[in-house]
Amino acid sequence: MILYTPMQLELVFDGLEEMQHVPVREVKVRGVPVLVQDTGPGEGKVVRLLSTDPRDYLRSDLCPGAVVKLYQCTSKEGYYT
Amino acid sequence: MFDDYYSIWGHEGEFPHTPPQAPPGEPDKAPQQDPRNPGNSPVPQRVQGRPKESMESIKELGTSPVPEVKSNIHCLTIVGQIEGHLVLPPQNKTTKYEHVIPQLVALEQSPEVEGVLVVLNTVGGDVEAGLAIAEMIASLSKPTVSIVLGGGHSIGVPIAVAARYSFIAETASMTIHPIRLNGLVIGVPQTYEYLDKMQDRVVRFVTQHSRISEAAFRDLMFRTGELARDIGTVLIGREAVEKGLIDEVGGVGQAVNKLKSMIEEYKLRNGVPVQ
Repeated sequence: MILYTPMQLELVFDGLEEMQHVPVREVKVRGVPVLVQDTGPGEGKVVRLLSTDPRDYLRSDLCPGAVVKLYQCTSKEGYYT
Repeated sequence: MFDDYYSIWGHEGEFPHTPPQAPPGEPDKAPQQDPRNPGNSPVPQRVQGRPKESMESIKELGTSPVPEVKSNIHCLTIVGQIEGHLVLPPQNKTTKYEHVIPQLVALEQSPEVEGVLVVLNTVGGDVEAGLAIAEMIASLSKPTVSIVLGGGHSIGVPIAVAARYSFIAETASMTIHPIRLNGLVIGVPQTYEYLDKMQDRVVRFVTQHSRISEAAFRDLMFRTGELARDIGTVLIGREAVEKGLIDEVGGVGQAVNKLKSMIEEYKLRNGVPVQ
C-alpha cells in the first residue's frame, strides 16, 4: 500500500500498534446484510455494508458509522437476535 | 443449538401466533371483508417495531423532520484521508472506498439522480483507492462537477480532475508532490522503478483528464524550493486554473449552476424518455 499524502506519515499511522481488533458480526438490518460492531446493549455500529444491491449504498441509515438498533436486525440465518 | 430449538416447533412461523379461533357459542357467520384485502388471504404480521421517526426526532433532537424532497443532484463528499486496504487509526477522518465505489454504481444506475457533485476537502491517501474512485467518477455517463474546497492534495488531484468540469474555491489549495515510499524499502534500483510506475499512473490520469501537459505536471511535482524540506508545489485557487489543472475558480453556487446546465444539455442530447 502506498499512501500519497502531504501529511506526515507519523501522524497518519500514530496509534496503529495500539489498535485492537474489534469483533464484528454479520447481521441483516431489515433484510440488508451488514457487518456490525457491538457498541452497547441493543445497539451496534455499521462497519461495512455487504449488500450487492447498489441502491442500499445510497441509504444514509446504513452508511458506515451509522448506529443500528439490534431489534431491527436478524442474524445471517434469519433468526431474531 | 438454535437449530434444535427451532426445529421442535415445526416451522417457525407458527410458534408465536396461535391460530384465530371463533368464540364459542357464536353462530358461524361470514368473516368480515377487509377492503384492503379482498381475497381474504392471510394478512402479513408486523413482526418488528419501527420507531415513530418524527416523534423520536422531536424528543431526542428537538427538531421536526424536514419533509423529504429528493434532489436530482447527488453530492458525494470526499474528506480526510482516502482509506485504502489498511484501516487507519481512529484519529484520521477517512473516506472509505468500499462504500464510495458501490455508491457510484448506484448513482449511475438510479433514474432519479441526474448529476453528481463531488465535493473535495482531502489530504490525499491511498493511491489505489484514490485512483479507483477517480476512474469511477470519470467513467460515469451522467454529468459530474467537482469542487475543491479547502484542500485537494496529492491523490485528491486525480479525483478533482476526474469530473467533467472542475471548480476550485479562491482559497483552496492543491499540493502536487512526488509519491514517497512507506513500508518496506529495499535499496535496489527496482524499488525506484516501482515507485516511478506508481507515479506514472497518477500523472497519466491527471494529464488525460485535464488540460495540463505531462511535462508541466512533472515540473510542478519535482519543483524544489517551494515546499520546505520537500519537493513539490502548492497551487492556490487561481493558480490551479492557470496551470490548466482545474477549469474554473468558483464556489458552490457556480458549481451547482454548471451542473444544472450540464444536466439540461445531457437531456437534450440523449432525448427525454417518454413516460
